[in-house]
Amino acid sequence: MASSASAAVVGSSPHRPLPPALSDNNLQPLFVLHKAASEKEDRKSVRRRMNIAPADHQRVDAGECMDGFQEQLQREAFEFVWSKIEKTIKAVLKNINSDAFSEINSWILESFQAINSFSSTSSYEATRSFPTAIDPASKRLFTGLVLTRNMEFVDDLMTFEDLAQHLKSQGCHVANLSSLEFSADNGTGGCIRSLLRQFLLSAVDAADMSILSSWYHALGNGTPVVVIVNELERCCGSVLSDFIIMLSEWVVKIPVILIIGASTVDVPGNILHFNALRCLCSCKFTLRTPVERMDAIIEAVLVKKCSGFSISQKVAVFMRNYFTSHDGTLSAFIRALKIACAQHFVTEPLSCLLKGFDEDENQCFQEKYDFLQEAISKYNWSITSCRRRSKVDERGGKKLVSAMVELKRLQDGWSCALMCLYEAGKRSQIHLLDLLCEVLDPDLYASRSPDSNSSSRKGSFISQAIQNVRDLPEAQFINLLKSWEKHVIAIPEIHGKVKDLQYMWKFGNAKRRKEQPPDMPRTQTSQNHLNVQRASKAVNDRAAIFIEYLINDLMQPMECVPFHEIVCFKNVEKLKAALAGDPRRQIQVDLLGSCRTLHCSCCCRYRDILLPSMQDTSIMYTLSQEHGDVINLYDWYESFKLILQPTNKGKHKKQSIFSKKKDTGKSEKLNEVAIQGRFCRGVTELQIAGLLKMQSKRRPDYLQRVAFGL
Amino acid sequence: MEIDDVDEEEVGFSRNYFLAKESGSSSSKKSGRKVSDIQVVDEQELIAAVANIEPKHEKEIAALKDSYKSSYSEWVFLLRCGFGLLFYGFGSKKALIEDFASTALSEYTVVVVNGYLQSINVKQVVVTVAELLLEFLKSRKKSPKANLPNLQQPFSSRSMEDLFSFLDGSWMEGNDCFVCVVIHNIDGPGLRDSDTQRCLAQLAACSNVRIIASIDHVNSPLLWDKKMVHTQFNWYWLHTPTYEPYKIEGMFFPLILAHGNTTQSAKTATIVLQSLTPNAQSVFRVLAEYQMSHPDEEGMLVSSLYATCRERFLVSSQVTLNSHLTEFKDHELVKIKRHPDGEDCLHIPLAKEALEKLLSEIN
Repeated sequence: MASSASAAVVGSSPHRPLPPALSDNNLQPLFVLHKAASEKEDRKSVRRRMNIAPADHQRVDAGECMDGFQEQLQREAFEFVWSKIEKTIKAVLKNINSDAFSEINSWILESFQAINSFSSTSSYEATRSFPTAIDPASKRLFTGLVLTRNMEFVDDLMTFEDLAQHLKSQGCHVANLSSLEFSADNGTGGCIRSLLRQFLLSAVDAADMSILSSWYHALGNGTPVVVIVNELERCCGSVLSDFIIMLSEWVVKIPVILIIGASTVDVPGNILHFNALRCLCSCKFTLRTPVERMDAIIEAVLVKKCSGFSISQKVAVFMRNYFTSHDGTLSAFIRALKIACAQHFVTEPLSCLLKGFDEDENQCFQEKYDFLQEAISKYNWSITSCRRRSKVDERGGKKLVSAMVELKRLQDGWSCALMCLYEAGKRSQIHLLDLLCEVLDPDLYASRSPDSNSSSRKGSFISQAIQNVRDLPEAQFINLLKSWEKHVIAIPEIHGKVKDLQYMWKFGNAKRRKEQPPDMPRTQTSQNHLNVQRASKAVNDRAAIFIEYLINDLMQPMECVPFHEIVCFKNVEKLKAALAGDPRRQIQVDLLGSCRTLHCSCCCRYRDILLPSMQDTSIMYTLSQEHGDVINLYDWYESFKLILQPTNKGKHKKQSIFSKKKDTGKSEKLNEVAIQGRFCRGVTELQIAGLLKMQSKRRPDYLQRVAFGL
Repeated sequence: MEIDDVDEEEVGFSRNYFLAKESGSSSSKKSGRKVSDIQVVDEQELIAAVANIEPKHEKEIAALKDSYKSSYSEWVFLLRCGFGLLFYGFGSKKALIEDFASTALSEYTVVVVNGYLQSINVKQVVVTVAELLLEFLKSRKKSPKANLPNLQQPFSSRSMEDLFSFLDGSWMEGNDCFVCVVIHNIDGPGLRDSDTQRCLAQLAACSNVRIIASIDHVNSPLLWDKKMVHTQFNWYWLHTPTYEPYKIEGMFFPLILAHGNTTQSAKTATIVLQSLTPNAQSVFRVLAEYQMSHPDEEGMLVSSLYATCRERFLVSSQVTLNSHLTEFKDHELVKIKRHPDGEDCLHIPLAKEALEKLLSEIN
């Protein structure tokens, strides 16, 4: 297979003969490099080979510390932690839409009854290849318009899968159609084939709705058939319109209910034809906004007890900015979290202690430490946050066990305090992600000295939340206390304080009622009202003091705690680089700063001066920067030649790479050939990098620059 | 989507700003010199020179590549975590990736797709990956054969949906069962269209497949939408410049000095003309002579050419002339331009010197 295809390529392509050194594999479109080693022993030998790496770094570096045993521990820990996070995220996203799903389900049942009320077809009619003639009213296609309120459709793919699952669990027959099925190439035939494949669970070549009708009547169970079209904006309008019109004609035979996902309510009007719109009998449902979903995920994964994995302030700020200003999708945020998690496990050897972090008690940590002790001493791991920077020896090991227990305790307290603060900030629409970035700030924490009265900067989210507590009206205040009680229930000491506040509020309330009989004169009432306000304000102030106490005592950012490296990921630069590469900038930087990357002593000696010893393409790209929109090929070549073969009068003192040879006519010709060869290869390489556009026939002497500025 | 099309639009936006900026800081070069002024050597010599370019900084490049070796185990870890690895940075990454795959991924089956080639059949890639996965599953004694798909129909005759569902199936316990697909230049000319990229994204999303790919073009990320990036390819970006020459990847690019210049075009035209009939050569000579004697004109009118050729008994009818002209046009020996009068005129797209050389050679 591969060889025949390659033969075609070889036959058709070459502009020049192929160098003999190139192996056949390079010219095959596809080849098998090797097949999997059969036994586990082979795996061990692979690991041994991989571990032969230079070990000149002080700190344990990624890749160096992982032998089979260690790598397995870390991978197991990653899988454990990430599967927990992933499950939590899925559950959160499912729960957040559960109300909308239930609403959709009830509407489907109502619509199904409505369809049944005017359609009763016999088996013969149902399997006829053309629809039954009916009145126009019964051609209405019940359509649920699910408004995602999100321009980025990628976040809603999972939502519609969950919806399909939910409806299936309620007994509906469900099929999901994506925008790919509604392409102009496929036409309605592609949609029907997809429906048949999903409902009949087998590939059917004929795109015939009567097959579906026969299938439905053969089932005879009288359940609705739901077709979900999940990205209306990306569907081909004419194909979808035809599909809707066709479904509306078949609706008496197959009780199809359509669910369409769209970002806003006006999208169907923009995409569908008038005739198709006329067939729809639509009902709107609204999903939660991406920000609401984000806050729910943050709460469940990074604030409340989930896996024990946490992130530093810089990482949190980067992820927030990436979400709000750059990508805007939850999917990117989740991917960033997964990359952060993987990087944490790959770079931090002791991160394997995170496995079961949220469940373990002291004894279990001790067992794990005993298990890991050999490995720990072998690699001489050090924990930078431990004050004495002591190596994890036997004594340090005991310290490590107690530190893990302490970390867990601190995380629980921090989580409670943050949730209380978030509840207080909800009135000002403060997002949890913003609050998280602020409470994780180690500088802010350091600025909160024990003597200082203030626990927050003016205008910060924290101060807004505290002010909210002070200003909260009575009715909302008691709700806030109730929510606090729910969050702090696991910490008896704090729970007691919340109970005190509740008691204080209830006592004050009862007292006020006693003091204010219903038949009191008006002047006295206004006086009493002021008293009531004052008393109520006092309770609010007490609550504000309580929340400040929580901030000061419990909200220590994780990265300020000794041994936090085990649970907290901090390397924001590594995350940035892995999440979204920047080839446009980096490839140019590679070219313009090749000597820095290569650590080449001969080229780095003279900064900003082009030397013949530099990489040819680097020289050429640097020279191209002197040109404008277009590069004159002749000038470019001459300047390149001048760099490689400077004249004696030239400003470059460095000898040319060719100047060792005597300047005979033959060697000059050789030099010219070599320079032209180098120039040609440089142009080709810049063309491959997409930094140059080839000359047009109209302008054969010029090349076009593509990238301007880094 | 064509990357170059995007370039056009993008350049339009940013070009003016940066050019203005550049003109403020340094004097931009403007020159009317022609490429034909370069004394280009013979094409064969040039090709030989390109093939024998003495490498620079071999030691430093080897050290740079060695430095990546310490990351191999980390990359394997990331693959096992479910990420796709995307290598970028200047220089050919072919050797680096294949070395990584041979050294660190020997416990997995590795398929290599050479995306820099023009013709790649993506269905064939998916079929091959499916066949290799099946072979792997069969070789593992623990995997219960009853769970394997019905093998009556070969993979090559199955639909893509079937293939993807097989590749995404849970055939073994744990998530350490996958085939690695190395794609050199996933942004290569043969893989650049959106259907192919969508297909590769679907392949990458399968639980039993991991993609290790490289890109070289600065605008490659434009090939993917957010769904592909975040939920299917699940890229882990690795900046790994190697500064290795693009020997194989650049093999199919024409050499800039070997094509489009006077010597080359005249030579090509000579070869074409020599294969034509003497009468056709004479017709071409009439046109060339006219063009040389009227350098300021757009070209020779078709009617004038017909008249002259008829006078010299080179053609007997318009049909004969048209057949010669079709031959010339097919080999890009002549171009048709619109004369200000509205009539078509013929023009040989060669410089005067090249034309002279050509005439002397066919004589």
